[in-house]
Amino acid sequence: MAKKGKADRQDKVARRATAENGPRIGVYVCHCGLNIDGSLDCEEVAKYASSLEGVVLAKDSMYTCSDAGQEQIKSDIREHNLNRVVVASCTPRLHEPTFRAACVEAGLNAYLFEMANIREHCSWVHLHDRQGATEKAKDLVKMSVARARLLQPQVETEVPITPRALVVGGGVAGIQAALDLADAGYKVYLVEKEASIGGRMAQIDKTFPTMDCSICILAPKMSEVGRHPNIELMTLSEVESVDGYIGNFHVRVKKKPRYVTDDCTYCGDCIKDCPQHMPNEFDCGLSTRRAIYSPFAQAVPATYLIDMDSCMNKHGIVACDRCYQACQHKCIDFSQQEEILDLDVGTIIVCTGSDVYDPTPLTELGYRRFPNVITSLEFERLINAGGPTGGNLIRPSDKTVPKSVGFLQCIGSRSKRSNPYCSNICCMNTIKDALLIREHWPDTKIYVFYMDIRAFGKGFEDLLMRARREGVVFIRGIPGEILQDDNSYSLKLIGENTLLSKLYEYEVDMVILSVGIEPRKDSAVVKRLLSLPSMADGFFMEAHPKLRPVDTPTGGIFLAGCAEGPKDIKDSVTQASAAASRANILMAKGKVTVEAITARIDPERCTGCGLCARVCPYGAILVDEETKVATVVEAACTGCGACCPECNFGAITMRHFEDHQILAQIDALAESDAGGKILAFCCNWCSYAGADFSGVSRIQYPAEVRIVRTMCSGRVDPKFVEYAFAKGIAAVLVSGCHIGDCHYINANSQTEKRVQRLWRKMARLGLNKERLRLAWISAAEGMRFSQEISALKEIVEKITPEEIEKGIEAFAPKRLPKGEHPDEATRPV
Amino acid sequence: MRYAFFPGCMMPVKYPGHESATRIIAEMLGIELVDMPFSCCSAPTLLRLVHYESWLALAARNLALAEQEGLNILTVCNGCANTLKEAALVLRNDPALKKKVNEVLKPWGKEFTGEIEVKHLLDVLRDDVGVEAIRSKTEKTFSFRIGIHYGCHLFRPPRIMYPDRLSPSKHFLPTQMDEILDATGMNPVQYNRRLLCCGSGLGTKVDLDAANQITREKLSHMADKDVQAICVGCPSCFEQFDRGQVILNRKENCDYKMPVFYITQLLGLAFGVPEEKLGFDQHRTKVTALLDGGGR
Amino acid sequence: MKRPGLFNEELLYECYQCARCTGSCPAAFAVDGFNPRNILLTYLRLGIEAVITDEKLWCCTTCHVCEDRCPQLIDVADLLCSLMNEAAMQGHIPEKVRASAEMILRTGRALLVSRRVDSIREKLGLKPLPEVPMEEVEGILDQTGMAVLIG
Repeated sequence: MAKKGKADRQDKVARRATAENGPRIGVYVCHCGLNIDGSLDCEEVAKYASSLEGVVLAKDSMYTCSDAGQEQIKSDIREHNLNRVVVASCTPRLHEPTFRAACVEAGLNAYLFEMANIREHCSWVHLHDRQGATEKAKDLVKMSVARARLLQPQVETEVPITPRALVVGGGVAGIQAALDLADAGYKVYLVEKEASIGGRMAQIDKTFPTMDCSICILAPKMSEVGRHPNIELMTLSEVESVDGYIGNFHVRVKKKPRYVTDDCTYCGDCIKDCPQHMPNEFDCGLSTRRAIYSPFAQAVPATYLIDMDSCMNKHGIVACDRCYQACQHKCIDFSQQEEILDLDVGTIIVCTGSDVYDPTPLTELGYRRFPNVITSLEFERLINAGGPTGGNLIRPSDKTVPKSVGFLQCIGSRSKRSNPYCSNICCMNTIKDALLIREHWPDTKIYVFYMDIRAFGKGFEDLLMRARREGVVFIRGIPGEILQDDNSYSLKLIGENTLLSKLYEYEVDMVILSVGIEPRKDSAVVKRLLSLPSMADGFFMEAHPKLRPVDTPTGGIFLAGCAEGPKDIKDSVTQASAAASRANILMAKGKVTVEAITARIDPERCTGCGLCARVCPYGAILVDEETKVATVVEAACTGCGACCPECNFGAITMRHFEDHQILAQIDALAESDAGGKILAFCCNWCSYAGADFSGVSRIQYPAEVRIVRTMCSGRVDPKFVEYAFAKGIAAVLVSGCHIGDCHYINANSQTEKRVQRLWRKMARLGLNKERLRLAWISAAEGMRFSQEISALKEIVEKITPEEIEKGIEAFAPKRLPKGEHPDEATRPV
Repeated sequence: MRYAFFPGCMMPVKYPGHESATRIIAEMLGIELVDMPFSCCSAPTLLRLVHYESWLALAARNLALAEQEGLNILTVCNGCANTLKEAALVLRNDPALKKKVNEVLKPWGKEFTGEIEVKHLLDVLRDDVGVEAIRSKTEKTFSFRIGIHYGCHLFRPPRIMYPDRLSPSKHFLPTQMDEILDATGMNPVQYNRRLLCCGSGLGTKVDLDAANQITREKLSHMADKDVQAICVGCPSCFEQFDRGQVILNRKENCDYKMPVFYITQLLGLAFGVPEEKLGFDQHRTKVTALLDGGGR
Repeated sequence: MKRPGLFNEELLYECYQCARCTGSCPAAFAVDGFNPRNILLTYLRLGIEAVITDEKLWCCTTCHVCEDRCPQLIDVADLLCSLMNEAAMQGHIPEKVRASAEMILRTGRALLVSRRVDSIREKLGLKPLPEVPMEEVEGILDQTGMAVLIG
C-alpha cells in the first residue's frame, strides 16, 4: 500500500477535513450495466444519497470500476475536497482493492473508503421486487454513509522479517525446501526427529513411474544438505516450543544426545560387539539392530548413535563399554546430555511426513496372525538390496521365494472403518512392486485385487499398461477374508470378481496389503506448538485448497509433503519448492505490512483481566502481570475481533471495525420500519461470501434483510444484537464459518458461546428466542443463506408490535455499558 | 442375580435337555430364572424379514412383559438376543416409533419404556457370574479339542449388539465361550472361518441343502484342525450342526464325527452334573463315544 | 420403500462395489445367483421390481457379515430385509417362510408344542411351557397388519 510519507500527508489532510469541515462524503451508485439498474432504480438511490447528512455529492454511473469511473472518483476527490468515498456497487470482496487504490492515488487514505453491496446482496437476489430492492439499496447506502462518517484514516505498520528459515522434518520434502532456501542464500535450520534425514523415501526400493532406485536419487540430495554451508542440520532433534509471529519466530529445539562424538568415521567396528539386539525400525521390525547403530547405510549424518533405552548403560552407570573398547577413535561418550537450542527464524516450513496405516484392527485379513501377510512398506524393505534379506523376496514363514503373491488395494483407505480418504500412492506403488517382482522372479504369479486403479499422473497409465501386458492379473473385487493353511502357511483369498459376478478362491504364497498413509503420529505435537489447524483426517490444513496450497492460515508458516496430505515424491518435491518460494518472498522483501484492521488496547482502561488474551486464536495478546496491562502484538494480530466483545471496560478498539461504526450502521438501518427488517451479521470469509454466492447464482430471497460485514463472526458483540432489538429490529441473524473451518482458526467458537448466552437472556426476559438465529454458512452455501433469510422472514411476518415493544423495553439504551453510546465522538487511534 | 428367563421357541420344544442343563447350571451359579408367558421373540431370520412392524411389536410385547416385573431378560438363543436387543435399542432411540408401538400394546395393558436390558446367557456367565466362580465350581475337565461356534446373531451387527465395545475398525470379536471354557480347563481351539455363519437362516427359509453346504464349509475347516467337539450358544446353530452332520454324512458321503454341545451341557459335565439330566439323548450326533473314550 | 429403523438410502449411493460383502457372504457361497452386492446395485439402477420377484432374495441367512465388513458402513443386511418385506407385501414369499409366519400367528410360537414335547419335558423335570395369551398376540398382529399379509 502507500509509503509512510504519503500516508502521513494523507492523514493530515483527512484529519484536517474531519476537524474543520466535518465529513465530505462522495457517493457513487453503479448501474453495472443492467446488473444493478435492471432490478432497482439507481438514479433514485443516488438522489436519496445526496439527501443524507455529510454527503456533498452523489452520482450514478454505468461502470464505476472502469477506468473512466475511477477517474471520475479521483477528480471528484480533488475538486470537491472529498474526505470519504462510498461506492454502492458489487461486493467489496471483488473491487474494494480497486477503489481503495483509486482513492490513494487521489491523495485519500485507503481506509476512508467504504462500499455498499447492492449487486450480489441486492439487485441479483431481488430480481422481481423492484421497489423492495430499491428501498433496500437506499438502506444499504444509508448504512454505508453512516459508517463512512465515522471512519478514520489508518496507517499500515511494517514488521521486519528475520532472513532465516526453520524446516521441520528431513524427508524428501524437508530436504528440498531446505536446499532451495539455502541455495537462495538464507540460513536454514533443518530439524529432524530421527538420527538421519531421508524419511520414507530412504525406505522404499524403487520409485514410480521411472523405476529409479529411490535411495540412489535421494542420497546426493541428502549429502548436499549435510555439506551445505547455509544448512544447519539437527538430527535427533525436536521442536519444543514456538513463540512469536510472522517474520519473528523464537523456536526452542531439544537435541537428544547421540552418545557418539563428531570424530566418528563411520567405520562400524563398534557394533560387532554390542550384546543388545532390538527390532530395526527402519526395516519395519523385519531385522534387528544393536543398541549402537546407524539407521541405514546412506545415513546423513554418516555416524552412529546409541539407543540408550536398549543400552545396558541406560541407568547412568557404565555397565558395558564394548563399543567404546572396539572403537579406534574412542569417539563414544556415554555421558552426553541433551541440548536445548534457541533459534530465531523468520519463516517455518512444516514437512513432518507420514506413517503407514496399521491393518491389525482389520482382523479378517490376518495381519500379525499370519506370517506371510505383510504390508507394502514391509515389502519395500524385503526387496530393497539394503534390507533384511538383501533384496530377496522371501516368505517370512519359510524364507522361500513365493510362487504367487496377491496385492490387496485400499487397505486402510477409502473406508469409514479406518481412513476415509484415498491415499494417492497405493495403486501406483503396487503396480511398481508388481513390475519389480516380474523382473526378478518372472515365474511368480501376481494378482492385484482392487476396486479402482488410480493412475492419474504423468507416466502412470503407461506403467499400468506395462504391468497388464506383462501378465499381472487384475481382479476387481477385494477379498472378504483371508484364510491360512497351517501346514504351508499359504493363504487363501475368498471374494467375488465383480466384473464376472463370480466368487473366487485364490491360493497365494504371500499377501501384500497395500496400506494407506496417515499423518505422522507425533505431528499432533507440532500442530499444537504452531497452532496449526488440521482436517478431520489429521493432515494439516492449507490456507486455501486451490489458491494457497502451501500456506497455512498463520502467516510465515508453510507446509510441504505428506504433512499436508498423501502424495508421491514428485508432488512432495513440488510442494517443497513452492513452500520455499513462498518463504523466500517474505524473507526477500525483508518486511511485511500488516493490514490496518488490528486490535489496539487503551492502557488507561485496561485492567489486565486477561479475558481477551484467552480467546485470541493467535496468542497475539500478552498480559503484563506486573503492570496489569494487556498489549496486542500487532504483527501476530489478524484482526478477527474475537477479543473485543470480551472486554468489559471498553479498552479494545478494532481498527476500521469499531463498535460505534457498527452501531451507526444499525442505527441507520433501524431509522425507518425497523420492525419489518432483518439484520444479518456476516463474516468476510464465509457467510458474507456465501451471501455473495447466492447473488452470483441468482438465488432469490426476501428483501427484508440488511447485511453488516465483519471480518469474523467472533467480532459480533452481544451488545450489537441487544442494540438492534432495542431499536426495534424484528430479527437478527449471526452467521459465520462452520465450526472447525473458521478463517481465524477457532474464533467462531466464541460466537457460539455468546449467542447461547443471548438466547438464555432472551428467554429470561420473556422474548421470542427465534428472533435471534445462528447459522454457519460456508462460501459455497448460497442456497443455505437464502434459506436462513426465508426462515427469518416468517418471524418478521408473524411478529407482533407487542413483541417489538418488549424487545425495546428489555434492551433499552440505559443498559449499554458506560461510554458506549453510538453518538460518542471518534476515538483516538 | 435375577432374570426373566426367555427360552425362545426352539430350545424348550426341540432340545428341552439343553433347557434342563441351563436351569441346573443357573441354580448352581446363583442365577434365579423367572418364567413368564413370552411369545416367539420373534425370529430375526423369519418374521423380521416378512413384516418388520409385526416383528417389532411382538418383540416389544416380550420386552414390556419383563419390564412390568422390573427384570432384565436372559436369553439362551442368539436369535432371541438379537431380536430383543435390536428392538430395545430401536425403540429407545426413536421416541416417535416407541410411541406408535406402545399404542399397539396399550389395549393389552403393556408399555415398553426402555428400562430393562437384554443379555445373552454367555454375557451373564462371563460378566455377571465371572470366570472365577466358574473355575471354582469345576470338578472335572476334558481335553478334547473344542471348536467354538459363536454364531452370527450373538454379536452382529456390533453397533446393535455390543455398541460400547467396538474395536477401532468398528468390529466386535466375541470371546465369551473361550473364556468360560478356559476357566473350566477345557480346550477350545482356533480354526479358519470361525466367525462364519452355520447356515441355519438359509435352511429354514429356502433351501436346506444349500444351508448344509455352508455347514459343510465350517465342518471341513474344523476337521482341518482336528476338532473333536463343537460348542454352541444357540439352539438353531446346534440343530444345524447336529442334524446337518448326519445329513451330510448320508447324502454326501462325508465322515464327520463331531458331537455338538450346548454351552451349559459342557458346563454341566464340568460341574459334575449327572449326564442323564443334560439331555444328550436328543442329539443326533452321538456324544457317547467322545465322552466314554478319550478326552476325559 | 423403507421400513422404520432400517437402512439408510443415502448411504447406499456410497457403495463403490468393492465386493467385500459378497466375498464374505455364506449364502453367496452356497447359492449360485445370490449376490448382495449385485442386489444393491440392481436395486439402485433398475428399481425395486427387478429385485423382489426373484425368490433367491430370501437366501440371506441374516448373518450380517456383509454389514460387518462393509468399509462404507452400509447396512446391506437391512437393505435385504427391507426388500424381503416389500416382496412379502407384494405376495412374493417362499412357502416355508409363509408357513412359519402363519405358525406364529396361530400359536404365538415358531414351533408347535405337542403333548409329546410336554412329556419329554416332564421326564427331565421341567414344567410345561406357559400358555401364550393368544388373544393378545393375535390382537397385536392384527393391529400391525400381519394377518392380512399371511392370509
